[in-house]
Amino acid sequence: MDIFFRVMANYPYFVAMVLFCIGIYAILSRANLMKKIIGINIMINAIFLLLISSGNIRGGIAPLQAVELTPEQLYVNPLPAALVLTGIVVSLSVTAFALSIVIKINDYYGTIEVNEILEIRSRQ
Amino acid sequence: MFTIWEAHPPLLVLFVLMAALLMPAIFHFRPQLCGAAALTVLFIALFVSLNFVRLTLEGRVLSYAVGGWPAPWGIEVLIEPLSTFMLAVISFIALITIFYSTSALEWEVPEAGIGWYYTTFLLLVASMKGMVITNDLFNMYVFIEVVGISACALVLAKGGREATEAAFKYLLLATVGSGFVLMGIALLYMVTGNLNIAFVAREFKQVYPQYPHLVWTVLSFFLVGFGIKAALFPLHVWLPDAHSSAPTPSSAILSGLVVKVYIVALLKFYFLIFGFELLDQLLIRQLILLMASAAIVAGSMFAFAQLNLKRRLAYSSVAQIGYIFLGIGLGSTIGLAAGILHIFNHAVMKTCLFLAAGAIYRQTGEKYVNRLQGIGYSMPLTMGAFSIAALSMVGLPLLSGFISKWYLALGSIEAGMPMFVGLIILSGLLNGSYFLPIIWQAFFVVDQHEPKTLTMDKLPFSMSASLVVLALVIIYFGVWPQLPLSLALKAANLFLP
Repeated sequence: MDIFFRVMANYPYFVAMVLFCIGIYAILSRANLMKKIIGINIMINAIFLLLISSGNIRGGIAPLQAVELTPEQLYVNPLPAALVLTGIVVSLSVTAFALSIVIKINDYYGTIEVNEILEIRSRQ
Repeated sequence: MFTIWEAHPPLLVLFVLMAALLMPAIFHFRPQLCGAAALTVLFIALFVSLNFVRLTLEGRVLSYAVGGWPAPWGIEVLIEPLSTFMLAVISFIALITIFYSTSALEWEVPEAGIGWYYTTFLLLVASMKGMVITNDLFNMYVFIEVVGISACALVLAKGGREATEAAFKYLLLATVGSGFVLMGIALLYMVTGNLNIAFVAREFKQVYPQYPHLVWTVLSFFLVGFGIKAALFPLHVWLPDAHSSAPTPSSAILSGLVVKVYIVALLKFYFLIFGFELLDQLLIRQLILLMASAAIVAGSMFAFAQLNLKRRLAYSSVAQIGYIFLGIGLGSTIGLAAGILHIFNHAVMKTCLFLAAGAIYRQTGEKYVNRLQGIGYSMPLTMGAFSIAALSMVGLPLLSGFISKWYLALGSIEAGMPMFVGLIILSGLLNGSYFLPIIWQAFFVVDQHEPKTLTMDKLPFSMSASLVVLALVIIYFGVWPQLPLSLALKAANLFLP
């Protein structure tokens, strides 16, 4: 029961891990290349969720210079947000690159299903 | 002359990065100058890297705070023995490969893509240099992704069905790998609150008894992530396709350098943050040793079964990566130094072999190893370089491959695990079983009906010259291995105090 309450208290971490596993499962099990790319995005976004939620404090505010901070005022850790912002750019470029390769594969094979591509290759 | 480079070490990365972005413009206005420009850039980079080597041998360590923010807040760049070693290796191999491709490229990639090919190549070189000098976890992740994307683009450069499919497979698995690495970095950041490796290590030593499961998780995330990217044996599936279908200069640099920088990153994470004791207690070290031994045996056996020359070389890389991981797993200073030394030796040998394979394909159009009878007579320079590199792979004395195997064997005795000496000897025999038939066919199997006469290779100057330089380097560092060995020993002492 104790572990249940601990998971409930930190549910974003739990959700992030579940999403990570869903992403890996999608990459491994789906034959469609587009779905594999979607799987990559789910996986990467799960990590971003983990990072963002690790820096968050309930009731905290953004640590802007314009706001007068009193000693009892909580503020969230801004570093994970900066990391995630960089990570989003990286994952965006990976996705764009992967999609452009999928377009080329579709030109060459006329399909984006892995099993059909393997069939076409084995026939040659 | 070197003061500005010494005062600002990241300038080296920035310099190559800027040059990379200029390449398409140069190609647009003066297409024939593109190769010369890339060559000049890499030549300067090699010079600067060798200056860093000189500084390191004097015992100096350069630390630089990027943007003026000191270590725990800003990104720290550290020029220590391992990073200088890798900087020199990367610059040298990239320089030779670019020299080869100045005349090989128009034959390997489509005309319109040559400028962009140089861009991707220099981007790859810059990001690899950034990866080995940074001391910041997240900065490392960003460079890992840049290396991954530009390496994929280098595979894709040739176009065609096989290369496109191999590139997609590579991109997919590389992204999964870097996702695992990022997850490990995120978990480490959550428990230590730092991103600088030195500060993470200090904090981690104090907090890790509170998180017994998390240590396991982070270690496994790093092992799987970097294992996929460095093609450690059961995770190597993308490597043969990607390395054999890529254009020749790309195969050379992918096999020679790209898989190695991930091993260096893993080495930094494991030994600087966790420490060897922890790896030993948590059985990760035993797992690495097991995977490395499996890689050495299985990689050689897969290589033996391949008839396509480039595929055979690619599987041979899987086996050679096993040696480097073996050096990491042994945990003795000499063994680790031998693993680090093998990064350099294997880079030179494999680059030489891949470039020779490209030269053979260019002159004769042969891709398969069983149709190379008597080729030593029509391409004596190429096959001579190929034979030297192949014999060095097998581990013949006076060649550089012997040195790394010798010290690896000494290291395994020092670590109290002499059975790995047997493994090294066995793998030497296996290497011989798939390299010697090629050499035998090339020089000694002659068709009785049409005896061949010795003629020189019909190759452009830059292709034969780069092959000869690589072969001479293999011999030189086989006879006088002091320089790379002393650097590798310095680096190993840093990791195993």
